Amino acid sequence: MIRRILTSRESILFYVFLAMFAAFSAFTDGFLDWFSLFERTRYWVVPGMIAVPMTFIIATAGIDLSVGSIVALCGIVLGLLYQDAQWPLWAAACAAVVAGVLARAFNGGVSSYLNIPPLVVTLATMALFRGLAMGLSKARSFSDLPEGFRWLSQGDAFSIPAGEAGPVFFPAPLFALIVTVVAGWLLMRRSWVGRFTECIGENEVAARFAAIDARRLKLALYTACGLVCGVGALFNTALYATAKADAATGMELDVIACVVIGGTRISGGQGSVIGSLLGLLIIGILKYGLEMAGVRSHNVVIFVGGLLIVTAVFNEWMASTGGRSRRGERA
Amino acid sequence: MNKRNISRLIVVGMLLALGGVACGPAKQPAPDASSGAKAPAQESLKIGVMPKLIGIPFFKATEVGAKKAGKELGVAVDFDGPVTNDVTLQAQMLETWIAKKYDAIAIAPNAPDAISPVLEKARKRGIKVITWDADALPDARDYFVNQCTAPSVAKAMMDVMAEGVGPDAKYLILTGSLTAANQNIWMDEMEKYRQAKYPNMTNLSETPKASEEDQALATQVTTDCLKAYSDLDGMFAITSVALPGAAEGLRKAGAAERVFLTGLATPNAMRDYVKDGTVKRFVLWNPVDLGYLAVHAAVGLLRGELEPGATAFSAGRLGEVEVAGDQIVLGDPIIFDKDNIDQFDF
Repeated sequence: MIRRILTSRESILFYVFLAMFAAFSAFTDGFLDWFSLFERTRYWVVPGMIAVPMTFIIATAGIDLSVGSIVALCGIVLGLLYQDAQWPLWAAACAAVVAGVLARAFNGGVSSYLNIPPLVVTLATMALFRGLAMGLSKARSFSDLPEGFRWLSQGDAFSIPAGEAGPVFFPAPLFALIVTVVAGWLLMRRSWVGRFTECIGENEVAARFAAIDARRLKLALYTACGLVCGVGALFNTALYATAKADAATGMELDVIACVVIGGTRISGGQGSVIGSLLGLLIIGILKYGLEMAGVRSHNVVIFVGGLLIVTAVFNEWMASTGGRSRRGERA
Repeated sequence: MNKRNISRLIVVGMLLALGGVACGPAKQPAPDASSGAKAPAQESLKIGVMPKLIGIPFFKATEVGAKKAGKELGVAVDFDGPVTNDVTLQAQMLETWIAKKYDAIAIAPNAPDAISPVLEKARKRGIKVITWDADALPDARDYFVNQCTAPSVAKAMMDVMAEGVGPDAKYLILTGSLTAANQNIWMDEMEKYRQAKYPNMTNLSETPKASEEDQALATQVTTDCLKAYSDLDGMFAITSVALPGAAEGLRKAGAAERVFLTGLATPNAMRDYVKDGTVKRFVLWNPVDLGYLAVHAAVGLLRGELEPGATAFSAGRLGEVEVAGDQIVLGDPIIFDKDNIDQFDF
C-alpha cells in the first residue's frame, strides 16, 4: 500500500517538483525567497482553479478551449454592471459568475445534445465569447474597483513571522485554489462522479450501456467549469485591478498544459486532480526559476515546451506499460 | 513491478536532467551582472528594462540605447520582456524582477491599469519605477519618460507639410481607428498649430480617414481619396502602419508628384518609399534615444541627480532634457529624409 503510494504517478510528479525546487534553490541566487515565492503564487490561482474542472472534462475525453475567453467575458460583465449600470459590487459579481455558468452551459449543451465534438464547439466559442467581450466593452477597460475587491487576489490572509527577512504573507486567493482542489479531489476519488467520468472517457458507449447518463453528466461537468471560470474571473479581475476584453488570453493552453503534465490522459479515461495541481506547481516553478536565473523569455518558452514533450512521452509510456494496475495506482 | 520501478527511475532521472539543464544557464548571468556593475565597490546598481514585447524592431532599437546607457553609467542593464504584448505576462515577469531585487525598473506597460498593482508593490519594496513609451497610473511610478509631447509631434508634421507643399496646402489626415487616443490628441494639436501658424491651410475632411492599423486598408483608402479629392495636395498618415500603406497607394497611383505624403513611421518600413521619392520626409522619435533616456532617468533617480521638482536633467549625450512635473521629455522628433534615413535601423 505504502509502496504503491510512493511509486504512484502523483508521487513521481511530486519528486520532480521537489527536485526542481532543490536544484533552483541550490544554483540560482535569490530563488529561495519565501516572500517572493508566495507573491508569485497569486498568478497561479486562476489557472489552477480552472485546471480542476478541466481535469474532469479531459478525463471524459473532452476538451475546453474557451475558458480564457469566458474569464474575459465574465470580467467584462462585472465591469459593465458595476461601473456603467451602477449595480452594487456583490450583485455584479454574482452576475459575472452566472454569465460564466450560462456561457459554459451553452457550450456543453451544443456539444453533448447536438453531438458536436467539444474541440469544435469550444474552438468556435473561444472566438465567440472573446468577440462578445470586445463588443460589449467596446475595447474599454474597467479599473475603478474598490480596495476591498482587490483584496480577493492582492490581499494577505495571514502573515508568518520569518525572522530578519520580515514576515512572509500567505496570499488570500490561495484559499480559493485549495478549496477548489479539495472539492475536485473528493469528487474525483471519493464519489461516483469521478468513477462515471473516467468510465465515459474510457468508453462512452459502454458507459451508456452501464446506465450512465453520459450527456447529462458531461453537461453538468461543463456547467461546473463555467462556475469555476466565473469565480476565477473575479480573482483575475482583482489581481490586475482591471477587467478588459483581452484578459486571460491563452489561459486555456496554460490550463491544459497543467492537466496534461499532471498525468490526465488527453484521450480520456483517467484524471488526477492532484496531478493537475502538481502540473501547475511544476510549470510555475520552472518558469519562475528560469526567470530568476536570468534566462530570456523566449528561451523560457522553449524549456516549458520541452517539459511538455517529455511528460507527454512519459505519460503515454506509463499508460502502455502500467496498464495492469493503472486503476490501482491512484493516490 | 520491479521492471516498472526501474523505468520510472529512468524517467525521474530524465526530468532531473531537464531541471539540471534548466539550471545550467543560471550561472551565466551572475558574473555578467556583477562584472559590469561591481567595479565601483560602493555601488553596483542593477536596472531592469522591460519593453512591451521583445522581438520587434522598434524595441530592439530601444534595447540598443538602454544597453549603451548602462555601459556609460557603469550599471548592469537587463533587457527582457514578454514574447507577446500581454500585460499579464509583464506583471508576472515583474514579480520575478521584484524578487531579483533590481534597484530600478523601467517598463513600457501594455496596459496602464493592469500593470499598476505590481508596480505599486515594487515601489513598496523600495524599487524605483520609471515608465517609458507608455505610462502607468501616476501613483505606480516615479517618472514617465515621454517620447514626445503631442505639440512637438504636431508641429513637426505640419512644418514638414508646409515646406513640402506651401502654406496654403489642402490636406487630409489618415489615422488608425477613430478612437485611437494618441492620434486624436495629435490631430487636435495639429489643428491648433494650423490655426496659429498656417491659417491658409485647409483640412479637406474634418473627420479623419480611418485605416484601423491595417496596411492594406490604408492603401485602399489612400487610392480612394486620390480619386475623390481632385484638389488634394497633401496627406498625413499618422500611424506607423498607415504611412507605409498610404505610400503604397500613392506609388501605385503614380501620384507622388501631385500629392505630398508625410506622417509617422519607422525608417525600416519607409526606406523603399523614401529612396524612390514617393515620400520625401516623415517624422518619428528616436527609439534608441528613448531606451537610453529611460536608463539615464532610472540611474539619475537612484543617484539622487533627478530630484522632485527638477525642471531639467542631464542625460549623457542627450544633454539637458526637460522635466515637466513627473514627466521627462525626450525632445523633438527626428525628421527622416533621403539623406539621413540610412543612419537608422529600426
